[in-house]
Amino acid sequence: MQDVSLGNVFRFTWQAAILWAVYRGSCWFVEAVGLPLPGNVVGVVTLFTLLCLGVVKLEHVSHAADFLLRHLVFFFVPITVGLMDWGAVFKEYWLELSTAVVVSSLLPFWLVGALTQWLHRRGKPCDI
Amino acid sequence: MRHLTTPLLVALTLAAYVLLRKLYLRRPHPLLNVVVLSAAVVGAVLMGLNMPYADYIPARDIMTFLLGPATVGLAVPLYRHRGLLRLYALPILASVGLGALTAMLTAGAIAKYSGLPREVVMSILPKGVSIPFAVEIARMYDGVPPLATAFVVATGTLGSLVGAVFLRRVGIRNPVARGLALGTVSHAQGTAAALEEGEEQGSMAGLALILAGVFTAVFAPLAVWILGGP
Repeated sequence: MQDVSLGNVFRFTWQAAILWAVYRGSCWFVEAVGLPLPGNVVGVVTLFTLLCLGVVKLEHVSHAADFLLRHLVFFFVPITVGLMDWGAVFKEYWLELSTAVVVSSLLPFWLVGALTQWLHRRGKPCDI
Repeated sequence: MRHLTTPLLVALTLAAYVLLRKLYLRRPHPLLNVVVLSAAVVGAVLMGLNMPYADYIPARDIMTFLLGPATVGLAVPLYRHRGLLRLYALPILASVGLGALTAMLTAGAIAKYSGLPREVVMSILPKGVSIPFAVEIARMYDGVPPLATAFVVATGTLGSLVGAVFLRRVGIRNPVARGLALGTVSHAQGTAAALEEGEEQGSMAGLALILAGVFTAVFAPLAVWILGGP
């Protein structure tokens, strides 16, 4: 279990506030410029850039980020509950949907693996 | 009683998550999916109480308030692994980009040409990326967020069950290549499987899952256009 002292709660809160500010800022930017990208994707790229530039230090966000990422799947539960309205689609199209999922997983599995291996063989084979 | 509904639904969701997560940590298995099982418990209770999903929406909005900031936090592991990112820049960018585009196009094309409704096709496009990205990408093109999560989880479960065996079958033995493939195709669930193979596979998968989200978002307009306009 994690230590839930007052100091930790305080640290989590202001670190989460930094993450929240980057997220809201990115969403605002996407909307203002009309970029066809989700705000959270731009947010990841923005925070990564800020970390690389040293504007934000790792220890300014890592405590909150690590905690939130450990429980990231929790946020998916309430979204997935929405499936209760979609049972009919799965009943009607289960074969088509399964085919789509299987084919679109196996083909890229092979492509990603084969391309990486090929690039490696051409480069420095001793790397790995 | 009415004003207590939302807090009670939040408590129910939290309890289901905490208990199933405990169970999973004790006996980890790809089929013991914490998201799906917790959602099934909550959904069953709602149906048992004859409550429509609309009644659950206030509770959902409270619980997902921190999802955006949490997702932005993915920059932290990306930054911690920036050394690997620099070392393998070309294979990472080329393979993850190709993989993300192929996954989107094959899934979308099969769904479209088997006559599925358009909102379902748009929900299956981002099925290879982490749920927060998939939900937002689906939403941008009139897909349905819960459907998108279902396809993401299905892909992740498939990848973590058969990914490692399939890659060996087709002769992919290089640990960097295996990690990238598992992370690109089957996001966090594939990353968990990659971590079981080794640390190098795990780190590469972790990088790939984040970059696949970025690439899928960037390529989504192209895929939607190829599959027949918005």
